[in-house]
Amino acid sequence: MFCLSELEDTVRVPPSDLNLPLEVAIKKALQKLFLDKVLSIGLCVSIYGIKSIEGGFVLPGDGAATYKVVFRIVVFRPFVGEVIAAKFKESDSNGLRLTLGFFEDVYVPAPLIPTPNRCEPDPYNRNQMRWVWKYGDDEFIIDDSCQQIKFRVENISYPPVPTERAEDAKPFAPMVVTGTIDDDGLGPVSWWEACAPISDAED
Amino acid sequence: MTSVKANAGALTNFEVLDLLNSRGASKDTTRVIASETVSRSEYKVYDYLMETAASTQTRDSVTKFSDKCKGFKLAKAEILNIINLRPSSDVELTPILEKPDEREIDIEGILALVQELLPPLPTVEAHKENEQEETEDGEQPNMETSV
Repeated sequence: MFCLSELEDTVRVPPSDLNLPLEVAIKKALQKLFLDKVLSIGLCVSIYGIKSIEGGFVLPGDGAATYKVVFRIVVFRPFVGEVIAAKFKESDSNGLRLTLGFFEDVYVPAPLIPTPNRCEPDPYNRNQMRWVWKYGDDEFIIDDSCQQIKFRVENISYPPVPTERAEDAKPFAPMVVTGTIDDDGLGPVSWWEACAPISDAED
Repeated sequence: MTSVKANAGALTNFEVLDLLNSRGASKDTTRVIASETVSRSEYKVYDYLMETAASTQTRDSVTKFSDKCKGFKLAKAEILNIINLRPSSDVELTPILEKPDEREIDIEGILALVQELLPPLPTVEAHKENEQEETEDGEQPNMETSV
């Protein structure tokens, strides 16, 4: 789910931070620049450490010091095929939306929900649709009550920033993870709790 | 901004949790003291990780597990997945593996190794203990003390 990435960048330390120890000031500037932002490599979660700092020149007309820094960050970038546990956020006629707390744009489109299924208007929540999986004679509902939903990553995409948007469109998501719950062991964890763990199985 | 190395190494959930812990993140609700070193968005990651298997793991158990996994012919990504999810049954392990039948993977062996080396999951553990008191042979309580 997470990996380390080494980056090199030119960092500008504002004059107000110049009284701090150098590493602290640069770390502060890096955090402001990268934390919680989506780069081409993924969502930056945390600054791991600084490897080298060079420069410290003050450019003409600017009060700040500019440094060339090589540092490592922890990036959230799931790989295709990874199984991740998430929570239910909302669902509509296109599919489900799951959240990881720090990352909320995980979508499970309708074709990747196990079939046969049907979508019905949610009786508890007027705006939402509810997905129900029909397996044999049982029906399994996917909604808020599911504690954890496991999904497998199918694809990650980084949609380009839109230039124009409708007024009521969803907030722009710079990184979208598409997942599937159509396989053994995937979907709400409660669906599979009936299967006994290995130590209980009879031989 | 240029990237020197886009992928300098994959991290297990445990390693990220360890990093946040060493910065001062903790479970208490005030979080004022640590807010100097741990930002709000980092706390969201911390909260998420505390609910996964990573919160009960130790560096020792994770290293031992990945060493022993070498004998099972698993891909690095699969070992990472197993450490992050801690599957306890066949049906939890299969979506992680790719074409297990063609590669002749020893599923029972892997699950036995998981049971043996990786500590059980956090919140689910309390619930499971009540259910399995009669059938489980006391293995899980032992796991707790070793952590």
